[in-house]
Amino acid sequence: MSAEEIEAVDEVTGRYVTVDIGGVEHRVYFEENGPEDGIPLLCQHTAGCNNQEWREVLRDEEITDEFRVIAYDLPYHGKSAPPTSQEWWEEDYSMTGEEFAERIVAIADALELEDPIYMGCSMGGNVSLELADWYPERFRAIIGLEAGAHSPGFYIDWLDHPEVNTTEVNAYSCWGLMAPQGPEHARRETMYHYEQGANGVFKGDLYYYSVDHDYRDKLSGIDASETPLYAINGEYDYLTTPEDARDIAEGVGEGATAMEMADIGHFPMSENPTLFNAYLKEILADVTGERDEALPDTITPEDVGVEVEKVKAGAVSEEAD
Amino acid sequence: MSTTEFASHGWWERYKETVNEDPEMEVRGHDKFDTNFYIEIGDERFLIEMDGGKVEEVVPNPALNNRWEFGVEGDRETWEEFVAETPPAFNHEIIASNYRAAVRNEENRLELTGDNKKIFQNLRAFQRALDLMREAHNDGGGS
Repeated sequence: MSAEEIEAVDEVTGRYVTVDIGGVEHRVYFEENGPEDGIPLLCQHTAGCNNQEWREVLRDEEITDEFRVIAYDLPYHGKSAPPTSQEWWEEDYSMTGEEFAERIVAIADALELEDPIYMGCSMGGNVSLELADWYPERFRAIIGLEAGAHSPGFYIDWLDHPEVNTTEVNAYSCWGLMAPQGPEHARRETMYHYEQGANGVFKGDLYYYSVDHDYRDKLSGIDASETPLYAINGEYDYLTTPEDARDIAEGVGEGATAMEMADIGHFPMSENPTLFNAYLKEILADVTGERDEALPDTITPEDVGVEVEKVKAGAVSEEAD
Repeated sequence: MSTTEFASHGWWERYKETVNEDPEMEVRGHDKFDTNFYIEIGDERFLIEMDGGKVEEVVPNPALNNRWEFGVEGDRETWEEFVAETPPAFNHEIIASNYRAAVRNEENRLELTGDNKKIFQNLRAFQRALDLMREAHNDGGGS
């Protein structure tokens, strides 16, 4: 009997794709679920982390009924090992906005995705601005979660220091980015994913996040009239607040939408998957035009029928009214 | 809500018990968390003396004879937000609060002081010790 025929086997599948990035071949790992002809929803993880953050989006039957959800590990993250042709151990890992955007587009190209929706969180949310500026024609819509035009102060030496337990520190410097309303197991798992990052990669990603990325004076140069841009930030995200999302929408103008997610923080898809997936369905319905009304300024658990206390206690949200 | 006033002698006694019985502190702090730190609440300062991952003593108004590596400072209202069962955004965790103070220049936040290297060397155990203030305050209902 093949794995596909066994009921207990998850429908999410993992595979590798060879991606040419600037003339260097990378073996990139991705997981996917959903119909082959579904609308591709390409998911970018947060700094120093990997695609495991998206597992409950990949497993949501309502989402994967319509969308082909694809979550990849950026090179140097998760199962996307550094390229074998490079002597990567001789230099610090560090990423710029140009490199980041190029890698995302190269992965979309290698997978031959037609009109995908891009969705990224944190550094993946920030880069939604570079993508909207430089590659708008490549995407059907661009969703930046926990996005900011500028997010200073998180390029920290202690995150890659020989006298610090960086495995623990890289994770737990992020602990307060999550909202206390999320279930404990999900918040702990989010930190567990963070503990799996390679030395120096979190800090190198944060070079992009806190140093290289600064779109404060460039927002008006983004044309989102053809490819809609969403900036969706959690109430408890202290790095990129809901106010930062509103600033993006205001600065970009036509085609840009901001929304605050109540009771959730900087890692929405993994810190509180039940609540986030309910929020996400509203965003995706807006992208596809299935939603009649504009998205609200702030979306709350009540709006999507989720009882926060039940979810926090580990109950299944779908049982909520 | 606590029947013992926040940061009173009885409150700190319960805090000490909470930390010393915490299974996660055993795992994360191991028996190596020996770094003293202080908590400043408005005009009051309390030195938390750690020994092998346990609170050995809470010393009010520490002076020249005491030593510590780092501390956390904030006004009483901010600390009361921090220990609330469901704390408000940004004062719900120390790195969050300190970021909003240090990088975003906001008032009414908690601020870290002292040796940053020692803070990061002890981050998880120290952070857990602070989160347990909430648990002690809410009779185990927080954190």
